[in-house]
Amino acid sequence: MARRTKLRKFLRFALLATLLAAAGVTLYLDFRVRHEFEGRRFALPARIFARPLELHVGLRIPLPDVVDELKQLGYRDVARPGESGWYLRDEGRLEIALRPFVFWDGAQPPRAVSVGFEGGKVSMLRDASGQDVPLARVEPLPIGGIYPAGNEDRILVRVKDVPKHLVEELIAVEDRSFYSHHGFDPRGLARAARSVFSSRVQGGSTITQQLVKNFFLTPERTIQRKATELVMAVLLEMHYEKDEILETYLNEIYFGQDRDRAIHGVGLAAQYYFAKDVQYLSVAESAMLVGMIRGPAFYDPYKHAARTLERRNLVLRETRDQGKISLEQYTTARSAPLGVTGKSGMGTSPYPAFLKLVHKQLRRDYDEKDLRSEGLRIFTTLDPRAQGAAESALTRRLAQFDKEKRFGQPGLEGAVVITDPQSGEVQAMVGGRDVRYAGYNRALDAARPVGSLLKPAIYLTALSEPSRYTLLTPIDDGPFLWKSRGAPDWEPLNYDKKFHGMVPLRLALAHSYNAAAARLGTDLGIDKVLGNLRRLGVEREVRPYASAMLGAVDLSPFEVAQMYQTIASGGFRSPLRSIREVTTQDGKPLARYPLAVEQAFPPEPVYLLAAAMQDVVREGTGQAMKSYLPPEIAVAGKTGTTDEQRDAWFAGFSGDRLAVVWVGYDDNRAARLSGSAAALPIWGDLMAALRPEPLALARPERIEMVSIDPQSGLRGGASCPGAVELPFVQGSAPRERAPCSGPLDAAVDAVNQAVGETTKRAKTFLERLFGR
Amino acid sequence: MKRLIYVLALLSGCATQPEAQREPAPPPEAQQLPAPAPERVPPPRAETTAVAGLMDSARADSAAGRLPNAAATLERALRIEPRNARLWHELAQVRFRQQNYGQAESLAVRSNTLAGSDAELRAMNQRLIDEARAAKR
Repeated sequence: MARRTKLRKFLRFALLATLLAAAGVTLYLDFRVRHEFEGRRFALPARIFARPLELHVGLRIPLPDVVDELKQLGYRDVARPGESGWYLRDEGRLEIALRPFVFWDGAQPPRAVSVGFEGGKVSMLRDASGQDVPLARVEPLPIGGIYPAGNEDRILVRVKDVPKHLVEELIAVEDRSFYSHHGFDPRGLARAARSVFSSRVQGGSTITQQLVKNFFLTPERTIQRKATELVMAVLLEMHYEKDEILETYLNEIYFGQDRDRAIHGVGLAAQYYFAKDVQYLSVAESAMLVGMIRGPAFYDPYKHAARTLERRNLVLRETRDQGKISLEQYTTARSAPLGVTGKSGMGTSPYPAFLKLVHKQLRRDYDEKDLRSEGLRIFTTLDPRAQGAAESALTRRLAQFDKEKRFGQPGLEGAVVITDPQSGEVQAMVGGRDVRYAGYNRALDAARPVGSLLKPAIYLTALSEPSRYTLLTPIDDGPFLWKSRGAPDWEPLNYDKKFHGMVPLRLALAHSYNAAAARLGTDLGIDKVLGNLRRLGVEREVRPYASAMLGAVDLSPFEVAQMYQTIASGGFRSPLRSIREVTTQDGKPLARYPLAVEQAFPPEPVYLLAAAMQDVVREGTGQAMKSYLPPEIAVAGKTGTTDEQRDAWFAGFSGDRLAVVWVGYDDNRAARLSGSAAALPIWGDLMAALRPEPLALARPERIEMVSIDPQSGLRGGASCPGAVELPFVQGSAPRERAPCSGPLDAAVDAVNQAVGETTKRAKTFLERLFGR
Repeated sequence: MKRLIYVLALLSGCATQPEAQREPAPPPEAQQLPAPAPERVPPPRAETTAVAGLMDSARADSAAGRLPNAAATLERALRIEPRNARLWHELAQVRFRQQNYGQAESLAVRSNTLAGSDAELRAMNQRLIDEARAAKR
């Protein structure tokens, strides 16, 4: 008796516990459904944009380059009155209907502009009424995103913006009783139950169940999971309207892959397959998308067009059979071609190397999670023209060198960085010859010996002492031997295996003499030179060995760009930046990355160095540049070649662009290509394509130009043959006159001197006036 | 006072022919280039209409206290005319008002290196540099 009571008690307890557990599970599921569905916002990737093209009179850009950018933006070359996003081209003129865009500093409405071109420049800019306008900003090119897990990409849409026929088609083939059921369909359920045991492709899920499955559950197929799915579907239906469920479904559903990017939702699918906003999809187009839901890879319109067409027509037939589209609509749609756009997919980005830099700089300030889910809009500094020029110069030349050298596979590699020399904005980055490949980014991550690219740091150190060194100071390029305890003797040779005796400083740099640079660097002090390398912006720790003077220092092309940036901007260091602004997905400003400058060197020695680097190109190791650029561009640069020609470098700048090019093998094989033979042609090609602005160095006040007789190295003048004008820090030029210089030259000098003095006095007076 | 400065600037411009010549800074030894004509007045404020427009809107932003916008607009203008010393100066002013004295000073120094013979601008830069240094202390 007692035992039976005990048993009954136990059973009652067990029953209660089971009920409680079931209620608990349901409550828990209910909580999850409500909490996650409500709180769930789709993870939206950060969207990344190039710099906007700002059209204004005087801008150096030829008409075809503007057309290229408009085409990249998807502008069509037909007039579509009343719409934006098209252009007309006519004899040196462009009519552009600019699209609206929300920029960092506010929304810009659609507007029509007329742009005239002359001599590779914008010569006229007017609005629709014929009025001159100062500026017209073209919306920036989207260049990729930072994607959530699985590289999911989507454009959110509202159900009211989705065409009715799309919804009808969806319901006709996926869930006929969607508007009447409570989350599940008993007949479908029976079918599904059978499929669990026969492990066939399961059908019969309602739209609600499909959503639950994609949203909350893992993909394994068990009875337990099916039961959970069912309960959650019913709960979802209890809490939410049909349209809310439908909207979420439309945004969630998967539509295939664009390389490594997953296309989700009808909004992005409409863009990706038809280059349209979802509301403009035709009956046939939306039927194709609906047909794809069953198996986006199986019904891939690019790979399996016939199969996809058949599937689309099935969708159309089902929809017609249920009376949701008319016979006429059906006939028209059925006879339409698939009509997908040419495959222009870019994967997660067409510019993976630059994106990597952006991502790296963003990670300093943002959570990885936020970057991948909050739909931030990132406005970057990428200049698609510069990027295009860098890509084509690099790939073309590397293919050519490979052919000439026949060194086998893997072939030569290379990297390019282009920046704006004044602001430090990164305009382009190429991380290897496979420019779309998101792997190893040599521009950022490959540290290679820089060779002679380091020499400017030595010469800058020398020129910072104008009382000891001018551009004319003789430097000894005789045999040089460096002994230091604990290290083997170091005896650098010149590239031409000769020594050149005493050479003027500027020519020692122009011809990149090693013995001269090694001697000069060690005389000045290795620590001092490396200290200046740091001030130029190289943050990497460099060991203070003498061989560092000749570039036994491993730097990435990006680091070299930072170093040369400081020289190009007259001694002002600006950290290289790839981001301008960040906004929320609806355009609210979050952060700006402002231009920052810091004076690292006084302007005079930097001016002298830059002038000497112009000589490198004019008469030194960079002479080959004359086959690429006219001499009046007067670019400044430096070649670099390392032992056995494993690395070939060229770094330099024009008035408006700075570029660094590296060429070599990943496995460090000897490339047998010098900086001037391999890196310079790439640099020359890309610069020529960009029509650079001449380099006119801003001459500091304390620099004077003095005519020098090259024979004696003394003051010359008009009467000395071959006299050259050279810059000197005031008071550092030779005082003595060359024998060839006449009395007239002396008189000219005297007048200049006197005028200079007057200026100085006037200045001091002014300065006193302002309390200095 | 402003007018006085201008007159002084004019005078100093007259006195410094080689200085004015220096303005467009032809690259040394580029003898094939025609020498620029000597200027007798300080260089005109050669902003293009694009830059002038941006400068106006930056000033409006600045006056309304929208300093980040003013700075962004000036940077936009600097991308068009990176050697416009006045733009660098105005950006220095904005940074000063944002109490970023380090940048205010650096930008004013930068402006000075591009100011050529614009004595008025040089004086304005110097004043800003002094104020920024004082504020930093």
